[in-house]
Amino acid sequence: MWFWLLGYLVLMAKITAVLTAVMVLAAYLVLVERKLLGRFQVRYGPNRAGIYGILQPVADGIKLLLKEDLMPEGADRAIFLAAPAVVAITALMMFAVVPFGPRLTIGGREIPMVITDINVGLLYVFALSSLGVYGVALGGWASNSKYALLGGIRGAAQMISYELALGLSIVPVVMLAGSFSLVDIVNAQAGLPFILVQPLAFGVFLISAMAETKRIPFDLPEAETELGAGYHTEYSGMRFGLFFLGEYVHMQVMGALVAVFFLGGWRGPVLPPPVWLLVKIVLVVLFMIWVRATLPRLRYDQLMNLGWKVLIPLALVNILITGAFMAA
Amino acid sequence: MIRAGIDIIASIAAGFYTTGRHLFVRPFTESYPEYKRPLPARSRARIILTRDPEGRERCVACYLCSGVCPVNCISMQAAEDSRGRRYAAWFRINFGRCIYCGLCEQACPTSAIQLTPDFEHIRRDLLDMVFEKQDLLVDHCGKDPDYDFYQHAGVVTGLAGKGDHISENAPVNTRTNMP
Amino acid sequence: MPKLIIDNLEIEVPEGTRVIEAAEKLGIYIPRFCFHHALGAVGACRVCAVKVLEGAVEGVQMSCMIDAQDGMKVSTTDPEAADFRRSVIEWLMLNHPHDCPVCDEGGHCLLQDLTVAGGHSIRRYEGGKRTYTDQYLGPLVQHEMNRCIQCYRCVRFYREYSGYNDLGVTGIAGRVYFGRLREGVLESPFAGNLIDICPTGVFTDKPSRYTGRRWDFERTPGVCIHCSLGCRTTVSARYRQVGRMEGRFSQRVNGDFICDRGRYGFYYADRPGRPRSGRISGQTVSVDQAVYEARDRLQRITEEHGPQAVGVIGSGRSSLQTQSAMVHLCRTTGWQGPVFRNTRITGAAADTAACALNPENAVSMRELETADAILAVGADPVNEAPVLALAMRQAQRAGAQITAIDPRPLEWPFDFEHLACRAEEIGEALASAAERLSDSRRPVVICGTEITDAGIVLQAADLVAGLRGSGKTAGLFCTLPQANSFGAALLDECNACAADLAARVEAGQIRALAVIESDLWHDFPDRPQLEKALEKLDLLVSVDFLDTPLFEKADIGIPSLTVFEAGGIYVNQEGRAQQVRPAHTGGLPITVTGAGDHPPRTFAPNVPGRDMPAAWVTAFCLAGQAPPETDAQMTAWMRYNFAVLSDLARMDADGVRLFAGGKTPIAHEATMPEKPEQCLELLLAAAVFGGEPMSDYSQCLRELAGLPAVWMDRADADRHGIAAGDRVGLGFENGEVSFVVRISDHMAPGVLVVYRHPDIDWQPRAGDTRYNIREDRIRRIEKA
Ligand code: SF4
Ligand code: SF4
Ligand code: SF4
Ligand code: SF4
Ligand code: FES
Repeated sequence: MWFWLLGYLVLMAKITAVLTAVMVLAAYLVLVERKLLGRFQVRYGPNRAGIYGILQPVADGIKLLLKEDLMPEGADRAIFLAAPAVVAITALMMFAVVPFGPRLTIGGREIPMVITDINVGLLYVFALSSLGVYGVALGGWASNSKYALLGGIRGAAQMISYELALGLSIVPVVMLAGSFSLVDIVNAQAGLPFILVQPLAFGVFLISAMAETKRIPFDLPEAETELGAGYHTEYSGMRFGLFFLGEYVHMQVMGALVAVFFLGGWRGPVLPPPVWLLVKIVLVVLFMIWVRATLPRLRYDQLMNLGWKVLIPLALVNILITGAFMAA
Repeated sequence: MIRAGIDIIASIAAGFYTTGRHLFVRPFTESYPEYKRPLPARSRARIILTRDPEGRERCVACYLCSGVCPVNCISMQAAEDSRGRRYAAWFRINFGRCIYCGLCEQACPTSAIQLTPDFEHIRRDLLDMVFEKQDLLVDHCGKDPDYDFYQHAGVVTGLAGKGDHISENAPVNTRTNMP
Repeated sequence: MPKLIIDNLEIEVPEGTRVIEAAEKLGIYIPRFCFHHALGAVGACRVCAVKVLEGAVEGVQMSCMIDAQDGMKVSTTDPEAADFRRSVIEWLMLNHPHDCPVCDEGGHCLLQDLTVAGGHSIRRYEGGKRTYTDQYLGPLVQHEMNRCIQCYRCVRFYREYSGYNDLGVTGIAGRVYFGRLREGVLESPFAGNLIDICPTGVFTDKPSRYTGRRWDFERTPGVCIHCSLGCRTTVSARYRQVGRMEGRFSQRVNGDFICDRGRYGFYYADRPGRPRSGRISGQTVSVDQAVYEARDRLQRITEEHGPQAVGVIGSGRSSLQTQSAMVHLCRTTGWQGPVFRNTRITGAAADTAACALNPENAVSMRELETADAILAVGADPVNEAPVLALAMRQAQRAGAQITAIDPRPLEWPFDFEHLACRAEEIGEALASAAERLSDSRRPVVICGTEITDAGIVLQAADLVAGLRGSGKTAGLFCTLPQANSFGAALLDECNACAADLAARVEAGQIRALAVIESDLWHDFPDRPQLEKALEKLDLLVSVDFLDTPLFEKADIGIPSLTVFEAGGIYVNQEGRAQQVRPAHTGGLPITVTGAGDHPPRTFAPNVPGRDMPAAWVTAFCLAGQAPPETDAQMTAWMRYNFAVLSDLARMDADGVRLFAGGKTPIAHEATMPEKPEQCLELLLAAAVFGGEPMSDYSQCLRELAGLPAVWMDRADADRHGIAAGDRVGLGFENGEVSFVVRISDHMAPGVLVVYRHPDIDWQPRAGDTRYNIREDRIRRIEKA
């Protein structure tokens, strides 16, 4: 009995640690993004709340919490209220299968440094990632606004196109690792990170991951210049905050997945494993920010062309090549 | 085909290089309340109504500024004073709406309405941003020290009669047939 | 039909069309100052230059001066022509003052437009500008001669088109001057059109001087309601107040021009004294309260004494909406009325005139301009329906013979033959003058209803019918007392007039009166009788937008909306129903809420004074019914409930003609009794300014009304030793009224004519529009 209880406590501790880390990181990613974007554009970025704007996320949080929660007339109440939660929760839940270190042995007992190691972890991640888009599509639809609806539709279309490339690009990784478990995939990179073995898969995955997180240059669902704010045009206050949070958590998830699939996960010299994972996540995210500062938004047809005519064929070819090599 | 691919990658890389380099450039931003940049006289902020060199109201309530204003924030009522001068009985600018585009100043034929560099005029109550004529009138000529519209116009205003204005000849005699 | 090519576009136009008009048909606007489609061309300004590439005369030509010819090829964009036009503008600007900011024309100034269009913006000429001294032209028109560009439009309109001669051209060379030939006020009642016609700011609107630019006004197509012609106007409103009125072109009604009564008569709408809240026994209450109180008290009287104890009085100045709502009110409640006319004789004449009109004999004013003989019977267009005089002048200029049968000293701006006779002799005169029309092919008989009776109207209608029978396209053109008298005649269901109701009040049959937008006080022939009747009433309800004495006396006063706020349909004297749209949303104007200063600084969603209902809404409420919600629903309701109005569905830009069909006019009885011996017949007649209750509220028009005057035939004057300019007193039963004497050589002997004057309250004196005054009651007070 106590054994069971202890396991439960450890699980809770792991969840708490991961959630806290993810949330704080999300908040500060926003700040980092704004600061960096500022610097990319030769200005300062937020620098008024606290020294170097360090309290800006706190200020933003307070502001979002205190803002009036508006709902447009004619909106579908239940769906409108639930949509932001869908986005945020699915993003957060994906972290459940991301390993952040090797097994720890405390008091002769082995504790896996992952919230839960399911053997189909990879499928779980993709399933949740696709579910997240429901939040976008439903939020857009329930708002009873043309801008939001267009944003939602674009989100759904984009998801379908890039989900495929995302999934296909990872097949070689699974083939090499011989497992769907993220823990196993990390372990399979003990020698060589997959980025060196599978550069093509890495490229396709990275691009698709950016499309999945709906970030520039793939931010068509919210395209401010065309759609107001796209699917979350009608949201205010903390509900808007949840969309926002979801996006940044999603960025981290994608960073973590890139790390796990291609950069060797928590593996690395000197530093403790969770720190390595963090460093890798942050590096990926920083790259995404740099991309945002540099590239313009794709047009809708370009987006579709890239997905269907470039990324998916590339991923398929890559599978064939990998298969051929493995068979040889 | 290959060339094109290389071109694409090269140009994307160039973009990344440009933005990346900016990380190491000192921002141009001037931090506002700490440093207030001296503004040129023609910068566009709070609007005033100036007077002519004689100290009389310049505005003739011609409605050109209100007509040109893209946000319709100027309203007024023209009237005629005892000497026959057309003037603004009331004149109102809603600074809550003004976008400080300066079109009013460009349109003004009398140099009456002028924008000044004073941009720090914020009120907590929106209604306080509605300025009436007495709030707008100043007792100087602003950027145009010489111009006096009524010296150029042909209308009789009690200051000058027909033929007395700048570049006018004396009234003709219509009852003579002499050449 | 010559066919020509302008700017590579081909067009075929009727013989005699000028190139400038042909181009306009193609949608090519050639600049012009002097050319005007109503005034024609004189080639004075030279700004319409085009280049004729092929044709009889090639080279740069004035497009307003050359007729379109077959095979002509014209370019409006040729550099030579464009350069010519640009130079014309530049030299016109040599002398032009630097006035635009303080010029009321600015914003709708043709000279401004063409200067900008021609690209002339920097003055190159360094010499001085020519100046002129201006004239005082009266309270309506402001003069600023410096701005003149010598297009001659003003004099062509004033002298040629409208036939007045006090304004003209003087001077030569660079000193040409357009103004009055002598000091004084403009004499023409059409002088206001100078403002519209002058392409620059020489003539501008004086009462609205310096009040607004055209772009600031809400400009709405309107219809003038100051006489029965229903001329088209453009109403300019701003800050919930009508500021200016202009003529609006109409193909059928007035053409381009309106008269000054219509142009300046609107000031009643925004007077400070206008009723804007309800009133119960002198106490100010909300409008709703007044309406409910009126409804309840009328209902109580109905219950106690039966529906016959309530009478309803309306008028011809209400819209068709109000009139039909009133008829509906009486139909549902069983109250007496509504009566739309005040006296029996003139009322019957107007009613008969409306019923005599049918699709065959009705002519519009524009058709009247093409008549070749006109017989005017008991009509004085200049005073009763001024723009009709303009139309008659155009007919006369085209060669029509005009004959007038009238006792009054007619002063018309065209040649006509005046058969002066007393009012009761008109019938005979008409019979003998009829043969004057026998040589014509398109004769028109104009019949007034002010001093005639139903018999004369019928006689005129019969004459027209006879002429038509002999194969002529003869027309009947009647003038009516008020803007919507025709509508009243269409809707009238009760064979009575206000005088009848007053009698029933005195007899105790009627105990309550609801008077809706009526000029009863102004028009009722016998003031003592009216006052006595009002005394006897248990309840007087008055609904009006004018603060008439009746409104002041009423137990319950309910304000109503003017035509500028409520719009409505008005049927003019030829049966043309014309729709008026509201010009502004109503409510207290800013000049009132701001107390003359800037508008208030407190902002509220509700504009004060916007809770007033239109009179027809009130009529529905008095009936205890909910009115139709929108104007469109109201129109549909009218069509559905009144068969005569069903044609309203076909209303278009020209309006729609409604006819009474087989309706029989109200009964008419014998006219005035014969004039006793030793008496002069005093005739009270309409005047262009003064005598029309609404425009009487305009201060600028009152100024023009002059002193109250009495006109006498020279023989009568000589008999009394009275000379022109003397002051005489006319002794009525209850007091003497003094007048300046005017003497005429061409009015009916034995008649005194007094034109209505806003300063003289008639009814307590004369008792009727016709009054027999004993010769010994005419007393000279003062010599000229
Ligand atoms: S600055 Fe521009 S917006 Fe402001 S009052 Fe002038 S014209 Fe209007
Ligand atoms: S443009 Fe100038 S003169 Fe005209 S109303 Fe405006 S401030 Fe007055
Ligand atoms: S007439 Fe026309 S051009 Fe001349 S001052 Fe007036 S607005 Fe200007
Ligand atoms: S006063 Fe006006 S209409 Fe008359 S000639 Fe001059 S510009 Fe033309
Ligand atoms: S319009 Fe032809 S000369 Fe004036």
